[in-house]
Amino acid sequence: MVSVIKIILLMEKLEDSNLVEASSEMNSSFRSEITATHEGESLNFCYQCSTCSGCCPVFRYNPNFNPRRIIENTLLGRRDRTVDSPTIWFCTVCHTCTEKCPQGVKVSEIIIELKNLSSKKGLFPIHLQEEAKTLLEFGMVSPSSKAIMSRREKLGLPVVENAPPEEIRTLTSYTGFDKLVAGKKPMEGEVQKKGAIGE
Amino acid sequence: MSRNYALFLGCTIPNRLPHLEVATRLILKSLDVNAKDLPGFSCCPDPVGFSALDRFTWIVLASRNLAVAEEQGLDILTLCSGCFETLKTANYVLKHDGEYKNKVNEALAKVGKEYKGSVEVRHLLQVLYEDVGPKKIESTVKKPLTGIKVAVHYGCHVLRPSEIVQVDDPFNPTYFEGIVKATGATPVDYEKKFLCCGVGVRSVDEATTNRMIEEKLRYVRLSGADLLCVICPFCLIQYDIGQFQINKALCTDYNIPVFYYPQLLALAQGVSADELNFKFQRIKPDAVLEKIEKL
Repeated sequence: MVSVIKIILLMEKLEDSNLVEASSEMNSSFRSEITATHEGESLNFCYQCSTCSGCCPVFRYNPNFNPRRIIENTLLGRRDRTVDSPTIWFCTVCHTCTEKCPQGVKVSEIIIELKNLSSKKGLFPIHLQEEAKTLLEFGMVSPSSKAIMSRREKLGLPVVENAPPEEIRTLTSYTGFDKLVAGKKPMEGEVQKKGAIGE
Repeated sequence: MSRNYALFLGCTIPNRLPHLEVATRLILKSLDVNAKDLPGFSCCPDPVGFSALDRFTWIVLASRNLAVAEEQGLDILTLCSGCFETLKTANYVLKHDGEYKNKVNEALAKVGKEYKGSVEVRHLLQVLYEDVGPKKIESTVKKPLTGIKVAVHYGCHVLRPSEIVQVDDPFNPTYFEGIVKATGATPVDYEKKFLCCGVGVRSVDEATTNRMIEEKLRYVRLSGADLLCVICPFCLIQYDIGQFQINKALCTDYNIPVFYYPQLLALAQGVSADELNFKFQRIKPDAVLEKIEKL
């Protein structure tokens, strides 16, 4: 474990040496914004031990996604390196970091709160816009189709009566979700490309 | 004694992998689990994408589903770990935070619904291990899968976040092995048993997702397992279709059959492989089916 942490820190040092000139703005109000969210309270307890990065299955293959770094940047109030950066979208939401954090920091949940702030600015990956549109139209993310209905019938399965899509649309228009999804802006390099292995 | 639940199918099983629903309905019936089909459920919605866009909307839509089950007074049985985490989280948040609950109910009032907090959400794994129990499962087995080696994959959302989902021991779970043993098969240990299937990053970083799949399969193969057994349709897609994809992308030659647990149990109960429609899966389990045939 110790050697893993050493390697992580060494990699970060290399990364930092490229970033010296980019001293990003620090903003304590941003930190308070996160600690005020539903899941953000635990942020202040982080003591930067790197357990999260050590157990993160994505970080093993994609060092651009470094949970410890994301928490550090949030603590330092660096909006540009968190909310404004495509990096946060590489989380696979396995919750291993939250489960293993010795300080009880809800790392994966904090990343979700960061993504929510990012989404409010229209910064979210294109595939989620597509998913959301499908939900608004059908009330399901993987809706049924004629082919599936006929396969279900052949398999002897009953017809599924799902929620009326209008009901879902009433709720999403009440929460402003429909407008949020429609307001997508292009992300820096679009997420699909950025950070992929071999890019 | 039969147990009653509201069956929450989600999107993926009924609309993409309906053959898994066939196996599930068969085993639930054989175990006297009365899983009722209720009209009016929507998408759970997905705990990775929708919580990321707007956590409040995610919880509102999930609470609407809880309210549908509440109207019938039935606990929810989920077949997918994603649906499980979503519904379980909504239930947890609303039970612990009165203010949040009021806000959600204000939204639900727009469609004439109300969340009261009167039902529980249970995962198939939990229902099989805790409510039905391995002994009862064993009593329905007609053809014990003696000598069949099974690598189990728990996946993430059934175990974590443990504070919310409260299933088994998050660091050293044994439920899955317990219900596999009940079929007569032998669970085998392997390195990286708890590695995430990686479906959460599939749409943003395919290279990483492929390498996560490859790492898992490498250790499953080393363990000598006849098959990889999962309890979530997304994990099944990752390892079944994903296996086919990584063989192309990473020049590997994996050929490890992936079973959704009900398929394994149904075989042990004497259901024919034809009825389970493995033809809808990418990796054909011919070798292991032949082994089972000879038992």
